[in-house]
Amino acid sequence: MNSPFFRFLLLSFYSEKAKQITVIIFSIIIIFILSSVLFLSTSMHYSITEALKYQPDFIVQKMAGDRRVNISERVTDELIEIPSIAKVTPRVYGRYFLKPLGKSFLVVGVDFFDVQSHRGLEKIIDNMDLNKFFKRRDNMLVGEGVDRFMREHHYDNNMTFFTPKGKAITLHKFATLPKNSELVSSDMVIVPIDLAKKILGIKRREVSDFAFNVPNILEWEIVTIKVSALDYDLRVINKKESYKAYAEFFDFKGGFFLSIFLIVLISFSLILYQRYSQLYSTERRNIGVLRALGWSIKDTLKLKFFEALLVVFISYTIGVSLAYIFVYIFHAPILKNIFLGSSNIMVEPTFVPVIDIFLLSSIFLLYAIPFIASVIIPVWRISTTNPKEAMR
Amino acid sequence: MNSLLLNTDIAIFLLGEFILWVVLLIAFGVNLYLLKKWDFHSYTNLQYRIEKLAYLIMVIIIFSFLMKFILLPYFVFTMDKISDIVPGAMCSAGVISFNAYGMKLFFIKMAILLLLMIWLMINHYDIEAKVYPWFRAKSWLFVFIFILITIELYWDYAFFADIDIHKVLNCCSTLYGLLEGVNPLPFGLDKREIIILFYMIYAMIISSTFGKQNYILLIGLILFIPIGYYSVLYFFGTYIYEMPNHNCPFCMLQKDYYYIGYPLWGSFFGGVFLGITAILAEERLKKDSKRLKYLMVLSFTIFVTICTFFVLHYYYKNGVFLEPVKVEMVM
Repeated sequence: MNSPFFRFLLLSFYSEKAKQITVIIFSIIIIFILSSVLFLSTSMHYSITEALKYQPDFIVQKMAGDRRVNISERVTDELIEIPSIAKVTPRVYGRYFLKPLGKSFLVVGVDFFDVQSHRGLEKIIDNMDLNKFFKRRDNMLVGEGVDRFMREHHYDNNMTFFTPKGKAITLHKFATLPKNSELVSSDMVIVPIDLAKKILGIKRREVSDFAFNVPNILEWEIVTIKVSALDYDLRVINKKESYKAYAEFFDFKGGFFLSIFLIVLISFSLILYQRYSQLYSTERRNIGVLRALGWSIKDTLKLKFFEALLVVFISYTIGVSLAYIFVYIFHAPILKNIFLGSSNIMVEPTFVPVIDIFLLSSIFLLYAIPFIASVIIPVWRISTTNPKEAMR
Repeated sequence: MNSLLLNTDIAIFLLGEFILWVVLLIAFGVNLYLLKKWDFHSYTNLQYRIEKLAYLIMVIIIFSFLMKFILLPYFVFTMDKISDIVPGAMCSAGVISFNAYGMKLFFIKMAILLLLMIWLMINHYDIEAKVYPWFRAKSWLFVFIFILITIELYWDYAFFADIDIHKVLNCCSTLYGLLEGVNPLPFGLDKREIIILFYMIYAMIISSTFGKQNYILLIGLILFIPIGYYSVLYFFGTYIYEMPNHNCPFCMLQKDYYYIGYPLWGSFFGGVFLGITAILAEERLKKDSKRLKYLMVLSFTIFVTICTFFVLHYYYKNGVFLEPVKVEMVM
């Protein structure tokens, strides 16, 4: 590593910047797109994993055919009798559609005086002033997205729901849920359990499903078997399965993107090959002069390769930084719809910056290997030019 | 198709390996051509052209060596990441032993890196010598390396395509654990002996390097491979995890242990590779390879320092050494 060599390298790179600029700009665009998508999917994967930590460990549902039906409240007692199970919570929830606007809320009924298997909800209720909440019988807690919706549509603090029987129930907004895991709770409306049953049209002795926790992870398998054995039509879902489903979903989207990106990458390589063949044909003279001055083939190869590496590093750094700004500071306008779907606009996630060295090396590998692989032959060809031939 | 192949990291890994293989295929073709036509004593135009082509092979091999060097830790990391998805496994130990390809793949990757390093060393002296005395030797070596890389590429694909994310894998504690009180150490050694051996062989390597005793150095290196591996697995590893019964070579590669496994294993295998390359250079090519040997000493010193640090750090914090607890099989 002799410093005159690097001085020469930088000087020649600078004096020929016009030639390199097209390649650099093109590379930056490619890296920018690639890393924005990878940043997005990693960040969303992370938030979902975080949100899942607060979910109950298990959910038991009753199935009829291929759909979930409401389940009798009595199952609680059977569940509690299984020794490893803690915090059995009957859950009441359902989608409430606002027909004219084509949007929906997730109405969740909660028994505020019972234990909660949802760890996030547990925290919220612990911090709440229940006395104040139950002063009025029509209070509700709303998620961030619902809150925004209400303000935008001038509902102020009251909102009217219609039950399936046609009765109107007006609810009063008590507070807005904290914003930490918006991907899961943004369109949620939390009300006392009886009110929720009325809004969703669920019978008095029935609930949507049950949630419970099993503190010892080693017992998860056996609990699944025991609960399934309670009745023939029960479906038991544990948290790890939903985690896997999410991971598979993001893998699928990421893989789908990658296979499309492959086409871009191939054309990029072809362009690079062309470009470098042309670029260097004008440079034969320079190489000839260097060779005549006593440089060996090894030296000229080194010079040209460091030039190519410099292009790689410059465009990599700029591309990744631009993507960082785009995703984490501007929250990836347009692009995020690929992952979220744009139908329910209420979900408005903020992306948590998740960056590790392996994500960066993924981007680097996916870009640097095709880049160098496609310029390797043109670079070699020009570096081994005969001085006599070149200066003729 | 296995949905795991769509996983971003695996897709990138396989794609990278594939592109490298394509570039190496070009080099391989050129290499065969050269082997057929090479005649250093002829003064034809062809021979001049051929000598230029030799540089192309060199450039391609340097490039693939660098990339394989990055891809190996990337491979380990990818396995760590899918161990989140696969039931049972908590680190790459379970994933790598899921099917027959895993360990084979790991060893072939190591062998390829070592051989590429030897190729680069021969090439360095070959070009320096001006008359290409080892041209045929290095060309045949490359033919062999390319065959290995082709096998590796197939195994790469087969390994990931074969992993079933719904099947339960083994955890590292069942693969490396000390259940049933069987002594897992080689040659019937116990822990105290293996630690004494560990430091003795390290001293032997250092002294034979500076005493220029290549054959003793070689013996030291060959002994250090199992002794180093087992002492990290069953002694130093427990101090990294600060758990007397946790024996796993892979868990230390995870974030929970600050990725300490990468420098640890990196410096260990780096030292072995550098040592073997240096001995070959001196004994077969009759060249002085002081720089490689100094790098080897540096590499082993980093390895031993990291290992020793964790033991001392633990002792400093707690005032005792770890005593393994005998576990009865519970299940």
